[in-house]
Amino acid sequence: MENDGTTSLGLPEHKMLNVHSLVKSFSLDSDEVRAVDDLSFSVAPKIVYGLLGPNGAGKTTTLRIILGLLEPDSGYTSVDGIRTCDDPIAVKSRLGFVSSNDGVYPWLSVREMLHYFGDLYGVDPEVAADLTESLAGLMGIDKLLDRRAGTLSTGQRQRVTLVRGLIHDPPVMLLDEPTRGLDVVGVQTIFEYIEHLRDAEKAIVVCTHRLDEAERLCDQFGLLHQGRLQYEGTMEEVRKKSGRDHLVEMFVDLMKGEVE
Amino acid sequence: MKGRLFRLCQKELRETIRDRRTVMTLLVMPLLLYPLLSMALNRFLLTSGARATNTFFIGVDTEEEGSLLASYLADPRSKPPEPISESSGGGIAEFEIRQTETVKAIDALYQNQFDIVASVEFGSPPKVTITSFRGDGGSQSARRILVERLHWLKMNVAQEVAGANAPSFYPPVDIVVDEIGAEDEAPLLATIVPLVLVLMTITGAVYPAIDLTAGERERGTMESLMASPVPRFYVLFAKYIAVVIVALLTAMINLLAMFTTLWLSGMMKFLSGSDAFPWLAVLQILGLLILFSGFFSALLLCLTSFAKSFKEAQAYLIPVMLLALAPGMLSLMPGVELSGPLAIAPLISIVILARDLLSGVFHPAGALAAVVSTIGYAAAALAIAARLFGTDAVTRTSEQSIGTIFRRPLKSTPVPSVPSAAFMLALLVPIYFVGSNGLMKFISEYKEDISLSTQFWLNILTLALTFGLIPLTATFLGRHKVSTTFRIHASSPPRFVLQLFGAMLMGLGAWTLAHEAFVITDALGIGGLSKERIDQALGQLQAWKQVPPWLLLLTFAVAPAIIEELCFRGFLFSTFSRVLNPVRTILLTSVLFGLFHVMTGNALLIERFVPTTLMGLMLGWIAYRTGSVLPGMLMHFVHNGLLLMVGRYHEKFNFFGRELDDQSHLPMEWLVIASLVVAAGVIIMVLSTKPRASRFSNE
Repeated sequence: MENDGTTSLGLPEHKMLNVHSLVKSFSLDSDEVRAVDDLSFSVAPKIVYGLLGPNGAGKTTTLRIILGLLEPDSGYTSVDGIRTCDDPIAVKSRLGFVSSNDGVYPWLSVREMLHYFGDLYGVDPEVAADLTESLAGLMGIDKLLDRRAGTLSTGQRQRVTLVRGLIHDPPVMLLDEPTRGLDVVGVQTIFEYIEHLRDAEKAIVVCTHRLDEAERLCDQFGLLHQGRLQYEGTMEEVRKKSGRDHLVEMFVDLMKGEVE
Repeated sequence: MKGRLFRLCQKELRETIRDRRTVMTLLVMPLLLYPLLSMALNRFLLTSGARATNTFFIGVDTEEEGSLLASYLADPRSKPPEPISESSGGGIAEFEIRQTETVKAIDALYQNQFDIVASVEFGSPPKVTITSFRGDGGSQSARRILVERLHWLKMNVAQEVAGANAPSFYPPVDIVVDEIGAEDEAPLLATIVPLVLVLMTITGAVYPAIDLTAGERERGTMESLMASPVPRFYVLFAKYIAVVIVALLTAMINLLAMFTTLWLSGMMKFLSGSDAFPWLAVLQILGLLILFSGFFSALLLCLTSFAKSFKEAQAYLIPVMLLALAPGMLSLMPGVELSGPLAIAPLISIVILARDLLSGVFHPAGALAAVVSTIGYAAAALAIAARLFGTDAVTRTSEQSIGTIFRRPLKSTPVPSVPSAAFMLALLVPIYFVGSNGLMKFISEYKEDISLSTQFWLNILTLALTFGLIPLTATFLGRHKVSTTFRIHASSPPRFVLQLFGAMLMGLGAWTLAHEAFVITDALGIGGLSKERIDQALGQLQAWKQVPPWLLLLTFAVAPAIIEELCFRGFLFSTFSRVLNPVRTILLTSVLFGLFHVMTGNALLIERFVPTTLMGLMLGWIAYRTGSVLPGMLMHFVHNGLLLMVGRYHEKFNFFGRELDDQSHLPMEWLVIASLVVAAGVIIMVLSTKPRASRFSNE
């Protein structure tokens, strides 16, 4: 694994978010399952990187390792040059994380909850208060700030979660299946949000199995199958490598390969 | 940083206190519960005939009957002599006579209008019939007291008449009463309140503890919480403070409601012995409350941090709540003192402390030990909780059901997993308990019918069926490789021989160290031996002399050496060393080894803990150095065998003219020699295992 300086498929490494030769296995009923198998990729600021794959491809496991929630068997991840294993606290404070599974504290008001996360991230309370106002204006939840989070609708809750992920203004943003369970309006909100992140010069990773959306959203693609990166690059590059026009077709090919 | 921690606490508190379910346990329950409880208690106290002076009502049908009874009761001769009435509390029950108007007195008694009914058949002498209500405690006491009063009257009058007619008359007996024992028994308050404290703080802490830990996962906020750059201990500490505050509030509101209802309903005097509002007791209880809620909040958080969901958390907590009631009951027992191991026993110590404080007794040393150890337990529980809370085992969704434990896996594995070891222990503890108790019961019942040799064989059988068979079954069910699971392994012959020699030397010297540890713990008061038990043990040694020495050795040296080593230094050691570092593996297996030896038969032999655990540490170290159970078996055998032979040839054991005694330190020469022997064993062990040990630590 002496490929320092390049990713597993030969692309140059970027400093902002770097995943290097990551391996992670789980044991299920004394069977070992390789969830992530020698995975490397990196993301530069202003880039939306789509980590794509069917359910169980290892996307969420990868994100959890980057977040420091899981320890890899080997390999490492680093953010802004800091490895997670060396200083998890510093890495976590540079990462924003939004997932479709995210819940809210039903008994807190939206403002209280956002301030709480500000405190968790060590943001100065006054800065957090200012940021809450401006982000709430941006995402259209300024009227909801004093409502109890438990009374929000799904769409409102999603927007609160999106604001929550930005409360410490992180340089790297991780989105796990951000559009799952949302209607057209909700999906549109996500698109606008990601545009905003790109404008704010963040390095963004989007994990999704919705390939049509990914095609519209992302600048670079990593196709993950059984824990391994199969194709990587811009849409053009991926098309050239796979000989297929659409992500869906590429995946069908990969799945067939598995059957044979 | 301080402000941040404060704001984190604030959030947790807001979250629980706004929750309606918290408010229910906090406010509504005590407000409804206590008035109801006090009514029930009132009934109970009155009918149980507590030593109080209350007024009993006597129903009569006619005015003549009433005035006759009144004249009897007004007669000073119907009162018991001073010392006798004082011995039963001092006061004399008041009687009030009431005449019925429309119904018969007997019918009114049925309707519970009176305590008893009296009717008089006028004649000489008048015949008084007293009727009480069967099963009603108040009515029974009223009848008993009235009968006594009338008897006193009869007797005093008779004595006067007899004295006047015959100057030489004297009664057959004079009665004088006296009392020994403590001046004042503990007031009811002191026995009830500790139990109430346990219940209240648990009730208050349960819901917030679950909600703030397992609830995070259920709401889907756990992942974002864990992804934030705040040390887990901070998050958990904030939660802890919130749980403590809610538990405190709940208990305080409960106590306030309890005291107010008791005071208003006039029952305070039953509990505290006086009618005034017990301000001092309330202050003491507040102090105790902090201790109780601090302890329970930490304990509950520790347990709920394991849980993936509300349901799971509840499943963990219910047994704990039931278990916690047992020490609570301790406060109801007289003669339990805050000293020795009880002073540092979790929960038990503070229950006894609460009882002592409220009955006006105070042992400073015991109280200090109780408070300090309780703070220690709470801190330990919290540290465990901080490690567990949000770990990947909890975050990950893969669930292991009960079924997976029983299903035999398809692939063989070299070493058992921690869950299968936990399952093995869960089987071993109850089976061992039932087995060893059953054996003792059987032997003591058929002592005459079965020979001592048979008893010894039964002993071996029990050992084999528990510590032998259960790990073996678990190994088979889990399809683990036997040689690696039980660490049956021999190094190259020359090295192996050296290891065995080292182990033997350690075994030869170890018994003196075990003996010293025993004497020292005895001197420190941690579970010493009573005189009776030493005599019993000596008697047993005498009896054992009828048994051939080979059977004695087989039962107490060979069998334990092989079977216990396979279980503790084999199965458990290989399992734990997979997930723990060597030091922790050795510690954990030793403590388990010690605990199982404490739990022998129906008595807890606490004095065995320290020596056995020390022994476990040595055996664990050998197992770690050699990577095998075999040298440890030899040491175990030599150690046990030597102790047995010393016991068997006790009288002959004069060394340099000194007698051997179970409670005194060994002579200095012995200790020096034994230590040198052990040291030699250790050095040989280190030399003969060096390359292997370094390989082990690299893994």
